[in-house]
Amino acid sequence: MLPLSLLNAAQNKPMLVELKNGETFNGHLVNCDNFMNITLREVYQTSAEGDKFWKLKECYIRGSTIKYLRVPDPLLDAVKDEQARAREANKFRGGHAGGAARGGRGGPQRGGRGGARGAPLRGGRGGRGRGM
Amino acid sequence: MLIFSVFKTLTDQTVTVELKNDLCITGVLKSVDQFLNIRLDNIKVSDEGRHPHMMAVKNCFIRGSVVRYVQLPADHVDTQLLEDATRREAQNQIKQR
Amino acid sequence: MSSLQGYVDRRVFLVLQDGRSIVGTLAGYDQKSNVVLSNSTERVYSSDEGVEEIPLGLYLVKGDMICLIGEVDEEADQALDLTTIRAEPLPPIRY
Repeated sequence: MLPLSLLNAAQNKPMLVELKNGETFNGHLVNCDNFMNITLREVYQTSAEGDKFWKLKECYIRGSTIKYLRVPDPLLDAVKDEQARAREANKFRGGHAGGAARGGRGGPQRGGRGGARGAPLRGGRGGRGRGM
Repeated sequence: MLIFSVFKTLTDQTVTVELKNDLCITGVLKSVDQFLNIRLDNIKVSDEGRHPHMMAVKNCFIRGSVVRYVQLPADHVDTQLLEDATRREAQNQIKQR
Repeated sequence: MSSLQGYVDRRVFLVLQDGRSIVGTLAGYDQKSNVVLSNSTERVYSSDEGVEEIPLGLYLVKGDMICLIGEVDEEADQALDLTTIRAEPLPPIRY
């Protein structure tokens, strides 16, 4: 499973983001893109030393400044299930398209983009625009 | 790219990798990629008394960007060949410009 | 990156550039060696106390931050008594 699929599936979910400078941000994911640039809403920001706090309505974080993200545990199974469903749907479509090799290789990928990953991705770009 | 090729010829040899966090890891080179990320098998951390963190780790992936040095087995590196290849590559780069 | 192939669904030991050590199950990774860890715990080493384990859950770690990913030999790991291990935390990287 790709890290970005997990992130895309985390939209509207709460998460904790730590930056390379040690600051942390707690909030709900509004949007993300392939650079892991993200926007969060209802954010609690904590200084690296943990002694100062801020409340932000919304914020934009550049992906390259992120150290790690902590997301809710149930998300993993949600993404796995979604991918299994996408694979199933694709096997079916691939069969009709003929060409076992194409169905096997190109098929699931195309399905992945069109289905689970495609939609949030498009949203991601919108979010980035708004963030900046 | 040249160094990537050199590493590829050293697969299955024992190397020691020094990381930028001062960790020294000896192991059998299993694979390397274009970022010079390294896979080591059968690893041993130098000074395990001070660094017992990896006692239960037998093989590992090291990110190329955190490698400070790699100690190579001298008898498996043909330095003459490497020098020639380096000159050839330098020549090619001049020609391309 | 073929090198992380084979670690998926295994317990792995992650060393971060800031010196932190995290153990978790590798759920996925990508080209940039960004990784997803499930059921992860941080292992906090100290020279005058045993290793403290802090549950972290589902974690997405950026590839930039990663020093090393090791496959944990679960048998060997279970045999370790973390409470008796005394060690300085790994240092952060210096260039």
